[in-house]
Amino acid sequence: MRRPTLGWRAAGLVAAGALVLTACGGGGTTDEPGQEPEEGAAGEPVTGGTLKLLSQQEQILHLDPQRNYTGEDLALASAYLSRTLTQYPYTTDVEEANTPVADLATDTGTPNDDATEWQFTLKDGVRWEDGSDVTCEDVKYGVSRTFATDVITDGPTYAISMLDIPTDDEGSSQYKGPYTGEGQELYDEAVTCDGNTITFRLNRSVPDFNYTVTLQSFAPVKESEDTGEQYDDRVFSNGPYQIEDYTPGQQLILVRNEEYDPETDDIRGSYPDRIEYTFAVDPNVLDQRMQADAAEDQTAITPDSVLTASLATVFNDPQFEDRRYNEFDPYVRYIAINTSKVPNVLHRRAILAAADRAAILQLAGGEFAGDPADGTIKPNIGQDYAPTGLWEELLGQEIPLEGDPEYAKQLIEESGEPMPRLTYDYATSPDADRGAVALQEALARADIQVRLNPIEAGSYYGVVLNENQQNELSLAGWGPDWPNASTIIPELFGTQGGFNLSRYNNPEFEERVAEALAEQDRAAQAALWQELNAFTMEEALVLPTRFGREQRLHGSKVGGAYIWSPYGSWPYGQLYVME
Amino acid sequence: MGGYILRRLASIIVLLILISMVTFGLFSLLPTDPAALTCGKSCTPAIIEDNRERLGLDQPVPVQYWEFVKGIFVGRTYGSGTAAFECEAPCLGYSFRRGEEVTKLLVDRFPVTAQLAIGAAILWLAIGVPAGILAARHRGRWIDKTATGLSLVAYSFPSFFLGYVLIFVFVIRLGWLPSPAYVAPTQDFGEFLQLMILPWLTMALLYAGFYTRLTRTQMLETMGEDYIRTARAKGLPERVVQRHGLRAGLTPLLTAFGIDLAGLLAGAVIAETVFSLPGIGRLAIDSVSDSDLPVITGTVLAAAGLILVANLVVDLLYGVVDPRVRLT
Repeated sequence: MRRPTLGWRAAGLVAAGALVLTACGGGGTTDEPGQEPEEGAAGEPVTGGTLKLLSQQEQILHLDPQRNYTGEDLALASAYLSRTLTQYPYTTDVEEANTPVADLATDTGTPNDDATEWQFTLKDGVRWEDGSDVTCEDVKYGVSRTFATDVITDGPTYAISMLDIPTDDEGSSQYKGPYTGEGQELYDEAVTCDGNTITFRLNRSVPDFNYTVTLQSFAPVKESEDTGEQYDDRVFSNGPYQIEDYTPGQQLILVRNEEYDPETDDIRGSYPDRIEYTFAVDPNVLDQRMQADAAEDQTAITPDSVLTASLATVFNDPQFEDRRYNEFDPYVRYIAINTSKVPNVLHRRAILAAADRAAILQLAGGEFAGDPADGTIKPNIGQDYAPTGLWEELLGQEIPLEGDPEYAKQLIEESGEPMPRLTYDYATSPDADRGAVALQEALARADIQVRLNPIEAGSYYGVVLNENQQNELSLAGWGPDWPNASTIIPELFGTQGGFNLSRYNNPEFEERVAEALAEQDRAAQAALWQELNAFTMEEALVLPTRFGREQRLHGSKVGGAYIWSPYGSWPYGQLYVME
Repeated sequence: MGGYILRRLASIIVLLILISMVTFGLFSLLPTDPAALTCGKSCTPAIIEDNRERLGLDQPVPVQYWEFVKGIFVGRTYGSGTAAFECEAPCLGYSFRRGEEVTKLLVDRFPVTAQLAIGAAILWLAIGVPAGILAARHRGRWIDKTATGLSLVAYSFPSFFLGYVLIFVFVIRLGWLPSPAYVAPTQDFGEFLQLMILPWLTMALLYAGFYTRLTRTQMLETMGEDYIRTARAKGLPERVVQRHGLRAGLTPLLTAFGIDLAGLLAGAVIAETVFSLPGIGRLAIDSVSDSDLPVITGTVLAAAGLILVANLVVDLLYGVVDPRVRLT
């Protein structure tokens, strides 16, 4: 998941959202969707040295596995501290990188016939930093923490929505997590341990559950080390490194975990001896340091984007060629159309037809902000994407990037009803303010009146997710949790979806979604998602504005760097420091 | 004197109570919903309501305030079941955004701000006051013009601009100093000095400009007083005459210094941000952008407390510096 974080620090600070499927890798400036990634700026990996990480963010948003839900943080934690049953391999090959392999488990799991039950067997020899074995009970305990929603906040809730545990009248799980123990017997039935084998019983068919368990929320936690709310500050490691010092606002120092056995790990290279993460670096200073590549920063890498003011320099000067990246970020940006307030599909199509997508994209930053979008599934997801034909035919005729107000007027006339007056909710920021005005002006050319409703960024989603407060149009962004549109289409348009800002409720569509979710043939499932993506566009449930991009730099002596497709992050587990 | 101090301390306590009430009240009027901010990405109205309860925001503001005050004196318990934990007195609250007790955050961060503020203050006094005295002694001559000209330039620079320029020149271009970070003096004093010299200079140059002008003005004003003329007429050496003049001119300097130092101790936001120093100022700014009420309240109270105490100390020092002042 999920939606991009809003607010003044959004640029590189907290890209909320986990999975992030980035199509292109390698240093370069002309990456296009679907292009094969090049090799990173790397030779043979070198063991030893200190890798430096620099960021403007104050701290890792959450290191606690069950609370970790940000792409870059997931990538970092899974590479260094917290292994999961399955994980994505480090490779520049997008398809291979997006296919989980065994990590803590001996294989990628075994489902029953209808994929309502999954079994994973843990490897022997995986140890915590105190030398004790990572057990099935540790995995079971870790997963149970997600249910303690009063303590474990911010994390993904797939364990709650997927495990076969009854809910109460209000729809909340009857299991309240390990801290109160309420409903523990229900959890013990849904998740069982038999020796080293853990079994998850699900409330529906989940053919891609072995992708779900790549999330840190399915990572083990040793019960005796669990400090609840405060576990965030001192995660007990079972990965190749452990925490030597973590001072939010200052630094995170990782040193080798002496109990880690590389023989149990086919994924991570774990080359540096030490990792020093410095927080709260001023954005301008960070940008200049990365460009200057002075001696102490040559072994540094940052998850933060190149500042807008520096993009022209970085992407025109050949000196940056081997260490710059212009890649898809995790998100599709769009404007959701609330179907409960704009029920006529022709009205919704008129909004799409009238919008000046070129202006919106330009005001967001032009070519560096992203590529024009044609749906909510992004090309870098792989097989689930196919062009929807939205702007070529789905609206009845081809719609240019600048919009077609005359055709929009025609659609409104055909609807036989007056277009309702629209209010556009958006999280206020300089870019969003300008984009809102551009939308307002473009729609006005089609005689569609829009009132702007800027909302303070911190409360934005709290407002628009409330049905009573949401208006007709709402700005949003979304990234999938794993490389399957099962974390996009149902979430954005299903009645059970957590982010259905379109308020779409169509039983026939629900059936088709259920069919796609249960489909165990991956290629067949991909075809269903492609159809559903096109269908949601034909229904004009959202105005997709761009497939977002971001731009990054790393130090000249960092090896193994590229944008790793699964999390749209650096491939932390295989970064190394060159001599 | 004792009665005066007691009265002032009592008024400080009353003011702090009022400030904490106003902070609470203002926060409750803000459109931002802290319950939504800690809701997470799988946010639903039900989860927001659960969060509101967890954070105690479902209670009326006076009840929330009372819980806060109680925590300062007897501590508080947060959470429930085996995940419950104690925030011991003086508990200024718990930041669920940061997973830290506010008191600990303030205690951890204050030394950084104090090191920045005191180091900068020593520098600006060492530069500004002598420069002001020199300028006054050589009024109208090139020394005076140079000192007042440079002070105007220094005072006109925005601190963030000066900070960036110093970093780009001395760290990034020349590589003479390490990249901005914070190292405690107890950890490595040499590195501490290397890392602090630029933030100190940034703050000091700005304030030194002001203190040069202030000192010069005060000196010139005092040196024109009747008693100085009398001293000169009695044949006292010029050095002694100027010492008399400086002492009398110190009172406004002391006032300005007390307020400036207290303001910096309460948080040098820009310097802390530009130089990656984890001090009170950056904590305050971040907590405002995160709508982190417990931290906002804690930093506001700490800042207000520092400024009020600094004012008291300055008032007390008046009596020492200028015998004409009597505190009653």
